[in-house]
Amino acid sequence: MSTTMKLQETQTGTWNRVKNAVARRTEGRAVILLILVVGVIAVQQPIVFNAYGVSLARVALVGLVALGLTLVVLQGELDLSVGSTLALTGVVVASIPDLGLGIIAGLVTGVAIGALNAFLIVLIGVNSFIATLGTLFALRGLAFVMSDGRPVRITDIDSALVFGRELLGPITPRVLIFILLFVMLQFFISKMRAGREFYAVGGNRQAAIDAGIPVKLRLFTSFMLCGFVAALAGVINTLELTAADPTAGSTVLLASFAAVIIGGNLLNGGRGSLVGTLIGAFALGLMQVGLTFAGADREVQDVLIGIVLLVAITTDPNNLRALSRRLQGLIRGKANQQA
Amino acid sequence: MTESGTQLKAAPVNGTPVEGIVKRQASVITWVASRGIFIFTGVLLVFSVIFVNGFASSVNIIDVFHRASAIGIVAIGMTFVVISANYIDLSVVAQVATAGVILLALSPTYGVLGAMAIALFFALLYGVVNGVSVGFLKANAVVVTLGTTGIGAGILSLLTTGTIYYGPENGPIDAFGDARVGPFPLSAFVLILVAVIASIVLSRTKFGFMIRSYGSNKQATRLAGVNSGGVVVGAFVLTSIAAMIAGFVLAAYSNTAVATMSEGFDFRALAAVIIGGNSLFGGRGSILRTFLGVIFISVLSNILVLSGFSFAWQQLVTGAVIVFAVALDALARKAEKR
Amino acid sequence: MTTAPETHTTRKTVIEAHDIVKRFGGAVAVDHVSIAVGAGEIHAVVGENGAGKSTLMRILAGILTPDNGGVSVDGIVLEPGAKASLEAGIALVHQELSLIPEMTVAENILLGSTPTKFGAIDSARQRKIAADALDQIGVSVDLNERVSRLSVALRQFVEIARAVARSPRVLILDEPTATLTPAETDYLLNMLQRLAAKGLAIIYISHRIPEVFRICERATILRDGKVVDNLIIADTTPNAIIDKMVGRELKLDLQTRRIANPGAVVLSARGIRAFRVNGIDLDVRAGEIVGIGGLVGAGRSELVRAIIGVDPRTAGTATITVDGQTKNIVGYRSAVRAGIGFVPEERRTEGLALEMSVADNITLPNRAALSKAGFLQRGKITEFATRLAAEVGLRPPEVGRDAGQYSGGNQQKVVIAKWLGREPKLIVLDEPTRGVDVGAKAEIHRLLRGLADGGTAVLVISSDLPELLELSDVIHVVRDGRIMGTLSPDEANERSVMALAAGEKVASSS
Repeated sequence: MSTTMKLQETQTGTWNRVKNAVARRTEGRAVILLILVVGVIAVQQPIVFNAYGVSLARVALVGLVALGLTLVVLQGELDLSVGSTLALTGVVVASIPDLGLGIIAGLVTGVAIGALNAFLIVLIGVNSFIATLGTLFALRGLAFVMSDGRPVRITDIDSALVFGRELLGPITPRVLIFILLFVMLQFFISKMRAGREFYAVGGNRQAAIDAGIPVKLRLFTSFMLCGFVAALAGVINTLELTAADPTAGSTVLLASFAAVIIGGNLLNGGRGSLVGTLIGAFALGLMQVGLTFAGADREVQDVLIGIVLLVAITTDPNNLRALSRRLQGLIRGKANQQA
Repeated sequence: MTESGTQLKAAPVNGTPVEGIVKRQASVITWVASRGIFIFTGVLLVFSVIFVNGFASSVNIIDVFHRASAIGIVAIGMTFVVISANYIDLSVVAQVATAGVILLALSPTYGVLGAMAIALFFALLYGVVNGVSVGFLKANAVVVTLGTTGIGAGILSLLTTGTIYYGPENGPIDAFGDARVGPFPLSAFVLILVAVIASIVLSRTKFGFMIRSYGSNKQATRLAGVNSGGVVVGAFVLTSIAAMIAGFVLAAYSNTAVATMSEGFDFRALAAVIIGGNSLFGGRGSILRTFLGVIFISVLSNILVLSGFSFAWQQLVTGAVIVFAVALDALARKAEKR
Repeated sequence: MTTAPETHTTRKTVIEAHDIVKRFGGAVAVDHVSIAVGAGEIHAVVGENGAGKSTLMRILAGILTPDNGGVSVDGIVLEPGAKASLEAGIALVHQELSLIPEMTVAENILLGSTPTKFGAIDSARQRKIAADALDQIGVSVDLNERVSRLSVALRQFVEIARAVARSPRVLILDEPTATLTPAETDYLLNMLQRLAAKGLAIIYISHRIPEVFRICERATILRDGKVVDNLIIADTTPNAIIDKMVGRELKLDLQTRRIANPGAVVLSARGIRAFRVNGIDLDVRAGEIVGIGGLVGAGRSELVRAIIGVDPRTAGTATITVDGQTKNIVGYRSAVRAGIGFVPEERRTEGLALEMSVADNITLPNRAALSKAGFLQRGKITEFATRLAAEVGLRPPEVGRDAGQYSGGNQQKVVIAKWLGREPKLIVLDEPTRGVDVGAKAEIHRLLRGLADGGTAVLVISSDLPELLELSDVIHVVRDGRIMGTLSPDEANERSVMALAAGEKVASSS
């Protein structure tokens, strides 16, 4: 008896290796969506492909929030308050005369909100969606209270305007920050031990606890990062518009979730990737720009994003597999009956 | 076959304990969490009567009732979804507006009843789409209803393009909105009627029973031979019908309807359900609790308004109250586990 | 009864547990157990289901704290807690795999102790340690493969690799071969021998006597939480061990058996295949009690659930015949409608809605009969529930009380009562008296016999051998998802059942 036994058929040949590598990926549906969107745009509104700046900007806003949300979803939790965080942060930034101080205050607000959510969820034990639903309302209200329900203008407009200027070709600071953040978060989630363990917390929480992973700390980290990123989006938005809109945020919530889920991130956690979210955000961003160029109302975007989300959440590969198994069993049974 | 004769009567065996019950310890927190809504609402009412100027006037009370009606009808409908442990239905906001707009926009063409029938169709559509996604496709209710909200609200906005629809002056809808029984608006009675019907359905019908059982233990209910997918669809459909009725009431109140009419609405209905002590994990909870939650929220909003606080403050305070209420519920659940 | 175990070899004791006692509520799970294992020794812990093996292992691994006694490694008494045990070098390979499905093999092997360089994962070292661990156990797997895509056997080996990667002194395995094919089992056993040769102390929990005899040096036999004996494998026989595991009188008193009068076939299953079910043919007749025996992990619950449609089947048919009419069982709901009742294994999570009243629970499957025009008929429900509660002997018979407040035995009675209300043609019970007090157990037995006498077909799974023998008119013994043997009342005794379940051929005359 040989001492080493191969119990697994290792498939040789590059084609098989490629096939396996592809099968492992979770971003499939996002890619399909992207191809679909690109296809439709190529036929209907090819001008979109020339308008880099607008497209990238759109992708960046939704994508940013979605990236942060992905971190939370990977651990098997939800954060519904990202939209409100964005709005509130914007109001905070605009309300402070010193822009630099305002930005810092805004980012700190985001982190604090994340910590609050984590406190409720991890330490008190409230279900993550209920807790963040509550904070969604409370923070939305706070944003309204602070702003009297009206957009708040930034005092130091000149500094803010710098923000909208293009730096490198079509790349504005907004896009740059988005790219940077993606790179950093992707590095965190794939190369850093703490980030990688997010997958463990979401994949099999009990096993993670048993293996000695500091689960509570990881959860706090993800919520605080999510809050920070949403706050960053709020800051960027406010700087570019030179005013904070307290009502901003509801579409962002919808679009972010759509990007996260079509990107292959499982709501139960443990499965998915930032890359998938990125592709999803790309597809949605392009779709939004395409619709705008086609002269469609803003609401059409909401409808389509809603459809994407609905389709994404009901076509989860795991669920579908279980469903098809049951259907197969039923069909087989019926066939036997007729026999 | 089973005989109910002596063959199956079990007799106690020597040496077994007479009492076969393992009693549970109730802690203070559990007690408060389950009865809290009664206490808090009572305290709030007393507080308002004594300390808040203008609260105890009949004009004000009537106004509170008016506002409470629509919120209440929605919240009561949503209780079905919550009790069946399906978290929540976020799309009620869009559904209310849809029903209101359909009523006022289409009644000139199809008559009031015709418009109502069309609204019913869309309510059922919402309910079925939500219900099938959650019950048969096993998707997360929060995300699904987030999606259907986007779709529904978007389509509504597109079709109405911001138009404000007015009901005819002194038309039947307007009349309903202005109607009173004594000092009380008719809508309050609709609320009470809906509450009573919902309560009966939940506690006395076979269907309501299945919903409660499913919320208490999904697997046991499935193993008892219940069509669990159907139960979920039913819960969402009931919620949609209630939202539709609320839409009618809301439209009748102001005799106007616009796609955004239910904005600022959602959090109060959700808050009423959550604060009412319905355990969002299903099983426990009742229409009565939701009802009290509605009163609590409405009185709270009223106090804020009377004290000069803006709508923004209402959102903030309500949100904070939700957070507090769910934290309490979670702590109570933890305490019970010990 | 042995008190202190004797180490007959010259091996140096690595891990020792002295006088361990563990109680859960009122029941004693581990009753003054002592055990000692030396370096390089593979020590078997054998016993029936519920003998206390798993509890003892969790105490050794520090996951559970004993009420009395302590665990020591190299003579040093360990502090309670999993961390202390891990650091002392005790590695437990669970029955329930604790892997992260979507992470790679390398990541899973290093889970919780991932090597880092300034916080970033040192993947080179990670791969090296993982590869070394796999090398040590002699398994070749692609380090980058997601664990979810591996076969069950490979997942088991990855789990073992994780344990080995921490350079443990003691390796504890709980039923590692339960889900492995013979070839994979072979491989695992060789692996363990190699590891032992390197000086590892291995504790091997298993019911499978052939395996125990192949690789183990000594065996501790547990029964009802106590150490029955401590044997050197070389000096004993499989039969002797089985006898000690079972420990009761071999002959059954045939006079107390009920005379069965089986009628027509009610349930008929052919070629059933499903997850962990590898081809089952089975019949149950009216008025007959068919028992399913076997050890944990054999696939008993799975096969029964596949037959009645609770879990999906990959192949096979099951039919139910009532009044001459044969119907295919397609889905669980149609099975219930055709007259099947199912009492599941976990009454608290699958059998009852604990927060609802007894009456409500009883109503659930009977709701059609108890409502008119969609409305529940309260009076009828109370009467119905009260009658059934009396039939099953619910004490106190307060049908308005929450089901969760009752003791285990009473709860089980409620689960049975709700099906009685439907007058089922076939009732299927999975471990009907687990966690149930002696009195309730006897009453439930009486109920089941009464049902059978009345013509109902009864299918019972039980890990309790005496119960299985007392109740059943015929026993199918399951192992590895197949029926290993069918025993009639004359042939059936504890020895023959256990022998089939544990893998020994039945001797022609014991």
